[in-house]
Amino acid sequence: MIANIVFFLLVGALPYYIFLEKSEKFSSKFIFQLSAFLLTCAIVLSFFIENEYSKTLVVIAYISAMYSVYRAMKTTNFYKLAYYFIYINAPFFLLFEENGAFYSLSLLISLFGLYAIANFYEKHYGSANYLYVRGITLATPLVGIYITVYLISIGLYPPLPNSLFFLAYVFDTEADFLWYIIIISIYCGNFLVSMKVLEKSIFGKTNPNIHYVDLNTKEKIPHFTIIVLLGLLSLYATKEIFTWVL
Amino acid sequence: MGIVAKLDAIKGNVPHYWPIGSFIHHNPLKGFEYLNFKEGLSRAKKIYGGKVYMEPSYYLKFYHEEKISHAILEENLKEVLEVDGLAQYYDLAMKCLLEVNPQWNEFRKQADNKEHPIDKELLDYLDDEFSYHNKERWLKQLTKHMTLYEMNDILFYRDDKEIIEKSIIEYISRYLDEEQTTIAMQNRELGMFETFKLYENFEYPYDSERFVEEALDKLHVKNKERYLLTHLLKLHGWAGFIKYRSEDPTYYAQQQYPSSLMDYMAIRLYYELAYLQHREINNFDLLHEYSLKNSSYVVLKVLKHNYNLPGKYIDLMEESDNYDDILERYVQEELQLDAKQVHLANDILKNRDIPLVELAKIMEVLREEEGYIWMKSLEDTYIHSFINEMDLSDKPQTQRALASVTMCLDVRSEIMRRSIEKSGNYTTFGAGGFLGFPIAFVEFDKTNEQLLCPAVVKPGNIVFEIPKEIDSDYKSKKTVTKTTKKVITDLKNNPFTPYIMVEAIGWFFGINLFGKTFAPQKTEKFFAKFKAKKPQTTYTLDKLSDQEIMMYINKLHIHLIHEAMVKESSNQYTEEEIEAIRDYLVFGKELSFDVSENFLTVLKDEYQITPDDYELQKAKLAKVGFTLEEKVEYLYKFLTMIGQVDNFAEFVLLSGHVSRSDNNPFESALDCGACGGKSSLPNNRAMCMIANSKEVREEIAKKGIVIPDDVKFIPTLHITTTDEVEFYDTDILTQEEMQRFSVVMEDFKKASANARKERISQLPYTKTENDIMVKSMDWSETRPEWGLAGVMGVFAGPRKSVKHMAFGNRLFLHSYDADLDNENADILTRIFNGPLVVGEWINLEHYFATVDNVAYGAGSKVYHNVVSKVGVFNGNFSDLKIGLPTQSVLLEGEAYHEPVRLLTYMEAPLETVGKAVENSIAKEFILNEWIRPIIIDKKAKKVYSYESGDFKVIKEF
Repeated sequence: MIANIVFFLLVGALPYYIFLEKSEKFSSKFIFQLSAFLLTCAIVLSFFIENEYSKTLVVIAYISAMYSVYRAMKTTNFYKLAYYFIYINAPFFLLFEENGAFYSLSLLISLFGLYAIANFYEKHYGSANYLYVRGITLATPLVGIYITVYLISIGLYPPLPNSLFFLAYVFDTEADFLWYIIIISIYCGNFLVSMKVLEKSIFGKTNPNIHYVDLNTKEKIPHFTIIVLLGLLSLYATKEIFTWVL
Repeated sequence: MGIVAKLDAIKGNVPHYWPIGSFIHHNPLKGFEYLNFKEGLSRAKKIYGGKVYMEPSYYLKFYHEEKISHAILEENLKEVLEVDGLAQYYDLAMKCLLEVNPQWNEFRKQADNKEHPIDKELLDYLDDEFSYHNKERWLKQLTKHMTLYEMNDILFYRDDKEIIEKSIIEYISRYLDEEQTTIAMQNRELGMFETFKLYENFEYPYDSERFVEEALDKLHVKNKERYLLTHLLKLHGWAGFIKYRSEDPTYYAQQQYPSSLMDYMAIRLYYELAYLQHREINNFDLLHEYSLKNSSYVVLKVLKHNYNLPGKYIDLMEESDNYDDILERYVQEELQLDAKQVHLANDILKNRDIPLVELAKIMEVLREEEGYIWMKSLEDTYIHSFINEMDLSDKPQTQRALASVTMCLDVRSEIMRRSIEKSGNYTTFGAGGFLGFPIAFVEFDKTNEQLLCPAVVKPGNIVFEIPKEIDSDYKSKKTVTKTTKKVITDLKNNPFTPYIMVEAIGWFFGINLFGKTFAPQKTEKFFAKFKAKKPQTTYTLDKLSDQEIMMYINKLHIHLIHEAMVKESSNQYTEEEIEAIRDYLVFGKELSFDVSENFLTVLKDEYQITPDDYELQKAKLAKVGFTLEEKVEYLYKFLTMIGQVDNFAEFVLLSGHVSRSDNNPFESALDCGACGGKSSLPNNRAMCMIANSKEVREEIAKKGIVIPDDVKFIPTLHITTTDEVEFYDTDILTQEEMQRFSVVMEDFKKASANARKERISQLPYTKTENDIMVKSMDWSETRPEWGLAGVMGVFAGPRKSVKHMAFGNRLFLHSYDADLDNENADILTRIFNGPLVVGEWINLEHYFATVDNVAYGAGSKVYHNVVSKVGVFNGNFSDLKIGLPTQSVLLEGEAYHEPVRLLTYMEAPLETVGKAVENSIAKEFILNEWIRPIIIDKKAKKVYSYESGDFKVIKEF
């Protein structure tokens, strides 16, 4: 039970909303960094501490995840979006038990990609807000491709690792009513938020008021690394699925 | 002013949209042609918001490549500055054009704006200029073309616009459907709004006009005219199509299912009211009240919606609700950036004398004018180089040519004409593809007539294509194809069968799919074997006698009564009784036997056997063919129009043209524009048949044109995609003539190959002649040919003046001999009324699709889906796409087409041109400078250009 509470505090949204978002001192960038760090801690911990799933905490995490979906739909800032995705997926972390660590790891890697994009936006466009910098596909296709990969990964599109770990878990678990509700609604939440952001950020007519900048060599390295990591995780997740199938 | 008058007043702003099946190039800003070009563009920009000239950097590139002459640019700049009262700033203005303006937007984009102490006076001026602190005025500018539901969406996170527009499109695309859907909408004959009432179960006893009036009152609309325009512009493609249908009483679908802009407006307003009724703000008074109370918030939201609010302010809006403060911060930053632009410009100009506010004003005027200055300079440079290169010597052609060929004036004939001329003893002529010979043509085995003439002309004669050999083979093959197609379509469209169909015969379609993708040529050849081959045909060119007309109508009615008897009646009637029924229905004669009332009603209502229909059929059949006088007149007019009145070649070829491509809804845009977006072969074939007729030759000789007996008129067809030439009706040639003609055919083959070689360099991803061939059958090819892209002008004059010049398929070439024209300039007037009108439409359609494809074009073909068989839209619902797709005018995002007005060169005396302009329907756009008329007057030894309402001498020789 204590382990459950620890995990909940690390990955659930409520603490962040209560303590961090209310304060003006903490920027959204910082909140993401902190959330990501704590999620990393939780992932590491989950390899050592057995995570039993507590229905009460999962239900609370689920409610706050739904609230996060609502918030994510409202925001147009990549930093905020990145940490909202952590909270949206918190119930999975609790629910997936041992599979949760790998799922969260691939989620975290995708979110680091999004974070790198947010950094890039902040540097070149003055803010990590994507609404103003629309039409990326036409203006800077490389950035557009990376955003697409990260978002479709988060949106649980195969063959990216999030969807494969998710599938592995679905194969491997006995379902009950709560399970169905959470799996379906959070799957849809991830998908809808990702697709909405994809539509608003990369498509459309370019903004003539903006001087678009594409990634330079130095900026390409982290993205390339993230794509490689996602690729490796995909291979591992495929192996997991085959193990289960065979 | 009543609501009808208000709608009439603004509908000119909506461009006509012709159905895509007979794509008619048109000027999207036709409604503005009553204004001078510059003024029209400026007005359109305010309404549509799109760009109307290319960016300065585009022209600057040409300037550096010397495609724009410095001297000409200088002259044009001086002229504009003089008009604007800024002549003393010439040096500064030139520097602005060349150095500052191309970087203007870049100045703003540079993030650091601290490097300059900003001039206070300048800040005040800019603040006032952009209304930053007059929120009401600012908001009015920002929301000029917004509906109330859009404002609700913006202010309250709604998505009504998407649902409303989708509902409207769903309804109108089904209502206007021309047999694309399998289950058609019911009751459409009631009219667009009446059917809509049934569709929505909306009980409303009055018509659309009254509904629109009431709806606008409910919304508390102050400026009704503007609001109607706002609504029309939301889906201006659909509105344009409805406008076109409703204004063409001969449009068949409109006759069956009437529609009007008023109905369309009523439907739009119905949805607006329906969605707004539960919203907090459901009329403009409430919106006004809300905007006054929350002005900063409203401005910020609208700026955000228009993508004008930088990300950091959007973030601030998410975090705080102190909107006054956020807006003020935004305004201050904007002002700083505006001022910084002027400061940076001032640095580059090294200006010390002119105060910054004054400089800002000058630069603003220049930014308004620069597009026009650059474009006109480009046009003038082309004009000067053209007139300098022309050969104006008088060298009459003495040697008789083996063959002469008259091709369409279409730009795509230019390379081909040069190649033909080079390949042997040949002369070429150019004329509008319909040859000044408008016909309604009913193709063999088709029931609908095609109007083969410019959209502004209505043909008075009908021509039928009929077989001249036994067509049983064709018929049997056609029946098999038709049945197979019908079975497959039924299986596809039945709600239960598609699944089984895919399993059972899905693989069959794989042959086509893989074949067309990997081996288009072989697949085309393979499937051609299964196609029914059209038998040899001829045309009905002679008038029917009254007896023949009566006989045909009688036959038709008897046939219909027979058909109705089988389907609708339990009684059988003898042939005599059938004739009596027909006489009763058509002529009101007494019936001597009993026929059920029901059966008679069916014959009247469904089979249209009525006195009215009898008269209609009679009038139609009376239009079939031509009288001898008409034939002679058309041939005479054609020959004099192109100046071919003597020294006829042995073979006079008249060439129509057509484009061939696969999976291309825009194919008809590549066909003959002078034939309403169709093949011009029928006009050319018919004209050849007329010209070969002995009695016509005898009659025309009396008018002074003697066509020797050994001259044979042969129709040909130029395939513009591949530059191949097909020959028709060669069976009229004797064996000896055929031997000589085979030389012509061989030379034309070589000319085709040479034309293709020249075009290889123009077409992207094309290295060999075979690549060009493949493009015509590759279903993934979005650009089978460049079509009319690149068009920049038209030349009306003798071929010898420009024969030595290569235009790379960029000039319309119309043969014209001013010496043959009469005092009234009838020939030139005819050229103006047909080819010039079409040329202007084509040119300006390309112009606007290039300068702003989003506002005036159709976007990328890749996302298009055919809708209602009338046009294309994006994805599964969007506005009907008007104009040309990006693939027709752009290459890899850059303009391929060079947007200039149609440079209209006329080799004729000034007086003749003046008379033709005066008599022509093109007068308005000529005098308002939507084209650039250049008159080469050999007698006066002067070249004139029509500019600013006057003929200006630009060269003397």
